[in-house]
Amino acid sequence: MVGRLEPLLALSAETTMLLLRCYLWKEESLLEDFLTDQDGTLAKVGLPEHPPSPRIETGDDTFVCEICYCDGSDEQFLALWCGHRFCSDCYRTYVRSKVLESESWRIRCPAPKCKTLVGLEPARLVLAGDTAALERYEENLTRSFVNDLSTFAWCPAPNCEYAVECQVPRSAWTTMVPAVRCRCGKAFCFGCKLDDHSPAPCYLVERWMQKCRNDSETSNWIKANTKECIKCKSTIEKNGGCNHMTCRECRHEFCWVCMGPWSEHGQSYYNCNRFDDDASKNARDSVSKSRAMLERYLHYFTRYNNHEQSARLARKLLAATEKNMEQIQREHTLSWIEVQFLSEAIDVLSMCRSTLKWSYVLGYYMLSDNQKTIFEDNQSDLEMATETLNELVENPISKDGPSIEEFKRLVIDKTTYVRTRWETILADIVVGLQENRWQFETE
Amino acid sequence: MSTPCRRRLMRDFKRLQNDPTEGISGAPCPDNIMVWNAVIFGPADTPFEDGTFKLSLTFDESYPNKPPLVKFISRMFHPNVYTNGELCLDILQNRWSPTYDVSAILTSIQSLLHDPNSTSPANAEAAKLYCENRKEYSRRVRETVEGSWE
Repeated sequence: MVGRLEPLLALSAETTMLLLRCYLWKEESLLEDFLTDQDGTLAKVGLPEHPPSPRIETGDDTFVCEICYCDGSDEQFLALWCGHRFCSDCYRTYVRSKVLESESWRIRCPAPKCKTLVGLEPARLVLAGDTAALERYEENLTRSFVNDLSTFAWCPAPNCEYAVECQVPRSAWTTMVPAVRCRCGKAFCFGCKLDDHSPAPCYLVERWMQKCRNDSETSNWIKANTKECIKCKSTIEKNGGCNHMTCRECRHEFCWVCMGPWSEHGQSYYNCNRFDDDASKNARDSVSKSRAMLERYLHYFTRYNNHEQSARLARKLLAATEKNMEQIQREHTLSWIEVQFLSEAIDVLSMCRSTLKWSYVLGYYMLSDNQKTIFEDNQSDLEMATETLNELVENPISKDGPSIEEFKRLVIDKTTYVRTRWETILADIVVGLQENRWQFETE
Repeated sequence: MSTPCRRRLMRDFKRLQNDPTEGISGAPCPDNIMVWNAVIFGPADTPFEDGTFKLSLTFDESYPNKPPLVKFISRMFHPNVYTNGELCLDILQNRWSPTYDVSAILTSIQSLLHDPNSTSPANAEAAKLYCENRKEYSRRVRETVEGSWE
């Protein structure tokens, strides 16, 4: 990028690079600013078009280092083009202390309020000889590159040092998951750094996780199953008995059905004749509504959770399968490559589990209509196929079962089928999200 | 033991003595050059006039690449001074330059007394009074001025 812009802007490589870093590598906005206001843009980095190569010079009689106040003609000093001269020892200590604070190209001339950036060349010059600081400086430069550039991110896997590039623009994240795979093998979502959660887009995942985290459903349960005492506001769960309630806290007596005071009910213990009052009707409506919401959430959560657990079991299954594969190899004198079909099946299984799991999050927020029915049909189709495959690989080969050739054929067929279903559904969901096929519940 | 930091602090001290600035004075503790005591006289024509405000400056070996920790010992009523005496001044944080010395720090604090920065208040009450009720602000400051003589 520097090579491309350098002749265009007619600037030195160093200045071009610093400008690009200032603009967080946004080539277009740099070009636009530069072409409209060249001087103003350059003032941002405090650099001329062609900064002179930095040199460590020897002082003269007028030289006084403003940091340590050493002076005289035998002092070595460095000055950037802004002309602020400091002795090279002070410069080194200054740059080193900034480097230890994880700074790199943002280090400025030590003079107060001077905006000139200590470029890469001068920094390397003063740090020469201090290998540790120099290495740290180069590392900081790389780090700031990854941090500043929006298409790069660090792999979230513990101890992984790789950065990953993702070309899916942020604006598309609402319809597709910017899933990336690091060289270390970790598959994650570039947007939220969680594990790959295709096909549910980030914003729904965030809402879902929040919901699961806050345990907001506990309060829904409380709403659905309990009422508050009118008088002292204690929460009461009625788990049997008649409608004549006596609050344990304040001894207030009331009717569970209409929530009115019991004294107005006379002796009709099992019938509340005030049941049809508007007020009591409304209260009951809201109770049943929140109960329905709870049931709906539980429906999706159970399935989401099931797939998560199954995925965990699948990993265990993989270990068992590896043993199984060795066994088959020995018993049936097959080569290693010939038993790989089992681990392939497990791979497909785990991918489907993850997709199914997140598709329930998508389903939870999706409003009911015909399109949703189609979505759910596809979902259950994949689910069924996945379960069949799971069952198939889980059961070890028995003597009276199908022969090994037959078993292998079955597994391979099913794996291929499931993989095709999986690919089709994922692709279809992305297209569906892009063309707004489904309506989602808004907050 | 002579380190760049200690040598520099000696220079700072000499500079303050040979080239004194009106209204500020400071000196290292007799037994520890890394801790200084300083006094700032309240600038004339401000509510702080006639006040003698005591401060402490604590340096570590990273000076002058890092600023010292500066704290008022006297009780202050000022928008940019916390109740514990610590103060909020850009040059003592992100705008620090290794060319600043003790004299520059004290001069900056002196001018801060003159021109508070009410946009980043450390003492919300002082900032509010400074903006809305200058008379009451002055009265509260005068209290601390009188307190500073003790």
